[in-house]
Parts: sequence; C-alpha cells; structure tokens
Amino acid sequence: MSVELSSPDLKTDEMIINMGPQHPATHGVLRLILTLDGEICKHVEPVLGHLHRAQEWQGQNRTWFQYQALIDRVDYLSGMYTSWAMARAAEQIDGLVVPKRAEYLRVILSEMNRITSHLLWLGTYLIDLGAMFGFPFYPFREREKLFDLFEEVAGQRMMFNYIRIGGVLRNPPFGWFDKLKRFTDEFPDRIDEYEAIVTENPIFLKRTKGVGILKKETAMAYGVTGPCIRASGIPLDLRKTKPYSVYPELDFKVQTMDGDGDTWARYMCRIREMRESNEIIRQAIEKIPGGTTEELRKLLGTTGPEKDESKDLDPSFLLMAKKQNAGLRVKAGEGFAAVESPRGTIGCYVISNGSDKAYRFKWRNPSFCNLSVLPELLVGAPIADIMAIFGSIDVILPDVDR
Amino acid sequence: MFALVGRSIESLYQVARGLKTVFKHTVRPPITKNFPDDMPDLPGHFRGRLALAVNPQTSEHLCISCLQCERVCPDKCIQITSHKSPETNKPELIEFKIDHGLCMFCGLCTEVCPTSCIINTNDFEMADYTRESLVYDLKRLTLSQDESAHYFAKKELPMPKPKPPKPAAKPAAPAAAAKPAEDKPEAKPEVKAEAKPQDLPAAPAPESPKKEEQ
Ligand code: SF4
Ligand code: SF4
Repeated sequence: MSVELSSPDLKTDEMIINMGPQHPATHGVLRLILTLDGEICKHVEPVLGHLHRAQEWQGQNRTWFQYQALIDRVDYLSGMYTSWAMARAAEQIDGLVVPKRAEYLRVILSEMNRITSHLLWLGTYLIDLGAMFGFPFYPFREREKLFDLFEEVAGQRMMFNYIRIGGVLRNPPFGWFDKLKRFTDEFPDRIDEYEAIVTENPIFLKRTKGVGILKKETAMAYGVTGPCIRASGIPLDLRKTKPYSVYPELDFKVQTMDGDGDTWARYMCRIREMRESNEIIRQAIEKIPGGTTEELRKLLGTTGPEKDESKDLDPSFLLMAKKQNAGLRVKAGEGFAAVESPRGTIGCYVISNGSDKAYRFKWRNPSFCNLSVLPELLVGAPIADIMAIFGSIDVILPDVDR
Repeated sequence: MFALVGRSIESLYQVARGLKTVFKHTVRPPITKNFPDDMPDLPGHFRGRLALAVNPQTSEHLCISCLQCERVCPDKCIQITSHKSPETNKPELIEFKIDHGLCMFCGLCTEVCPTSCIINTNDFEMADYTRESLVYDLKRLTLSQDESAHYFAKKELPMPKPKPPKPAAKPAAPAAAAKPAEDKPEAKPEVKAEAKPQDLPAAPAPESPKKEEQ
C-alpha cells in the first residue's frame, strides 16, 4: 500500500516550531513562532523585546551630553545615524546652523558607516544562506579598513560618539583624508570581486530569485523604508526626497530596482548603494570647506588642534555651532528629524523643557517597521527560505527593541 | 534541451568566475595580524583604559579634584575622595577609583576634565580574574611622567600651564629625582602600578597649581 505524498486527502497536522531566540541567523535575539504545514510556513508570529534596553527612558534620565554617548548603541551597526538624527532634532529646537565643514564630515563618516553596515550584512547574509567557502570574510576585510579610519577620528570602532549636537567632535588627524581617498579608489574593485563570486552564482540565484517577493503596495502599507522599499521600485530616499545636510550639493542617484522586489533585488540594491556611497565620499572629500586637515592647519598656521575653534576662522570651517560641555542645554520646544540610515528612515522626536535633560524621546526605528512586514513575506514560504528572507530585510534586533 | 545546456554552461562559467576570485585570494599573503606578537598601532584618540596623567614637565599630579568627571560619567563609575587642605584651603585628592567593569569607554570624562588629567590610554588588554581587580585605585591609575608626555604628544593636548611664580620650589624636584628609570611608554600595566609609590607624596602638592572654581 502506498500513499501519494501530495494527495489532497492526506491529512497532515500543523506543527508549531520556535525559531530562536538564540538562532544564530537572527542577528540578535528574535523569536519566531512558526506554524508549519509540512515544510510550508502557514503563520508567523515574531516575538520582540528580548533586547529591550529602555533607550527612550534612558534619554529622559540622562543629560543631553551623556545621552549622546549612549545613542550609538541603539543601532550598533550604524551608530552615526542615530547620533545624527538626535543631533538634528536638538539643533532644530535650538535653531542652530551647523558649520559646513562639520556637515561634510558628518556626511563622509555616515556614508562610510553605510558601507560598513552593508558589508556586514553581505557577509552574514551569505553565511545565512550557507556560503561558508571563505567568502563571508571578504567584506570584513574592507570593513576593517574603514573601522581603522573611524578609530583614528572618533576613538572607537563602532561606538563613535562623534556627531554632537551642533557639529562634530574633532577634525580627522593628518593623513586621514589620503587614506580614505585611497580606500575609495580601490573599493569599486573590491565590490567587483564580491559580485564576481555572488551576483550571478547559480546557487545564489536559485536561493534568492523570486523568493520573498515584497510588493510595492505591501511595502507602502507597512511603512517599509530603506533598501527594502527601493528594491521594490519606490525611490524613497530621504537624502533625495527630503534633502538634509549637504546632500543637495552632492551628485548621486537613488538606487531602485525594477521588478517585484525579491530577495535578489534587495541584495543588488545594497551592492549598488555601496558604490553610490563610495561616490558620495569621493565628492565630499573634494568639496569639504577648508580641505583636508593638513590644508586647514596650514591655513591656520598651526599643526595642532588648538585653533580649530578660533574666532577669526571662516565660520564654515568650524566644527561646532555650540560649545559642548557637561551642562549642555537645549531650548524648550519640540523637534523631529529623520535621516536615511542603511536600514531606512531613522526618526527622532524630542520634547525639551529647556533643562539639561530631554523631557521625552521617541524613536522611529527602521528595523521595527521593516520587521513588521516579515509575516507577509514568510507565509507560504518553505522553511529553508525563512532565513534567506529574514536576512534579506536586514533588521538589527537592538534597533527593533531599543 | 538546448536551453538547458546553455544554462548549464552559463552556470558553470559563473561558478568558475567566482572560484577564480576565491583561488586568487588563497595565494595572497594574509591580511590579518598575529595579534599578541604584532601589536596594533593604535591612534592617539583611541579610547582605552582610563588613567590619570601627571604634568609631563614637572611630574606633579594634574587632578584638581573638581569632580567634573565624576559628575558627567553616565555610568557613575568614578569615585573621588578629596578633602579641603587646611593650609591652602583648596581641595586635595585622597583617593580616585574607577570601576573599569562599569565603564563604557565613552570618553566623556576626558572631554570635561579642565586640566586634561584623566585620559584614555591606548591600553586595551585589561582582562582580569576578578571584578574587584577591575576597580583601579589612584596608584594604578596614575601614569608616569614619560607615559604622560607620550600621551600628551600623541593626543595633541595642550601642555599644562606652568605654575604661578609662588614659593613652588620643592614639589616637583624630589619626586622626579627619586623616580626610577621608566620603561617604554607602552609598558605593561604591572610596571605602571609598581612604579608609582614615589609619586604619591608629590601628588597632592602643597600648593595646588591653579585657581579652582570650587
Ligand atoms: S569613559 Fe565614560 S563611562 Fe568610563 S569613566 Fe569616563 S565617563 Fe564614565
Ligand atoms: S575632571 Fe579632571 S581634574 Fe577634575 S576631578 Fe576629574 S580628573 Fe580631576
């Protein structure tokens, strides 16, 4: 007696499986309660909150000055952007105009941060897909170079504490811009290398093409932002659609993908964004007021940082619009600012009551909104594709739970 | 049928292209470093273990017990004990404790310090067996004169102002003379710890170098 496995009258039981919270591919701790029918996922329930650190509450209980150091930890792969969102919100309340040089430094370092974030995603995503043949560590080679540059200017590799309310912390050291320029020259070749291995690889295509299709309408309904929505064909990029900082002065394109926004499109979108970020950095180095640190110091006639904030300096060469000290205060008022992070729109809403602590913080985190679309993508997918899809939307769990 | 063959050839070509890149990388020299043998060259602004610098010229302790660092620390890991000196009526440092187990190396304390006394060193190898040994006291925190000079130059910090021309003959000289030959600036922590005792008497200098606001 034999049974047709695909026979419609064969009765199967639904099975509930917990994926996570300590699943290695969840980039943090996320628990997915999967209801499976055989191999096919019928229902998904993400359980959040394992990494909740009360970031908003802490913002209300620490002074502005102290919170600046903490805020990099919200999204630890792209710390520049959370700092930037908070700094912009506070500057909005205070009515500060950030000096041009500081804005350029912000753009350069955040675009570097975008590249490191995408590189980490690329490496780990390939591991999620099971590609262990040496490849995952290629992106880490470039990432390491960028981290060395971050270390020189900000002091740490990931928790920068560099973007401050009113400007940036310090000028890069001597030789830094040259190193960065060398990096931007060689980086496109490195991306070609990744692409040679991955982009057209038949196994990779089989795992990603047509998998996890995110339709435009669904993406819009769930408030998906970042590369995920651009891969679905919607050119939503705050750097272009709602320009801030010095992005209007820089020439770059929003990378969108035609087609239905499958996993492969999201991969490709990120690869293209890395190339675009590289271009932005290159232009910003050319355009930065005051030029490299060497040129600026020559202008000032010093070799040290002591005159960086001097009064007779061209105001656009300054680093800070406001003096940073422990008693940093922000005027009473409300402000909202959003920046385009590697994962999407980071929004920061602040109410200040004029004291040295904020009255209320509210964060809009891209990972949270992007994660909410996950059940739509997973239902109907086989269990082997779950990590391929989950990895492709690139959420970072500390950012989801805050 | 032809399509299938075509696709197979295309796939094989793509796999070969990827493998070519991979194999090219198997023969190039490694990009990683042999860490314990090959120490990384850390930049001056690297935020590592905290330490208290002394004046690189005169070797007197720079801390004026203003408690700014204690107040600004988000993790409350700095604990300063000081008292008002009966002679000069200025605060005098007795004990300075930093719990490196709590510290998140944000560097805020170093930014607010008015005399650039508390600094982040380039030392990052701080693994220890107990939590208590992560609490560094004044003796373990204070750097030697050479180390301070090294970090003042590396971090481009402004040199501390010379003392006002008061009867300031004695504080610096004896300590500097009694100092044993120091190791290189990046000496290991144990060396720092044992090299310190001579500094202590000189640390709370009878006449504090500056007018404090407290
Ligand atoms: S580095 Fe930050 S956490 Fe550590 S002692 Fe200084 S202020 Fe406190
Ligand atoms: S801020 Fe500097 S001078 Fe003031 S107590 Fe701390 S270490 Fe001493």
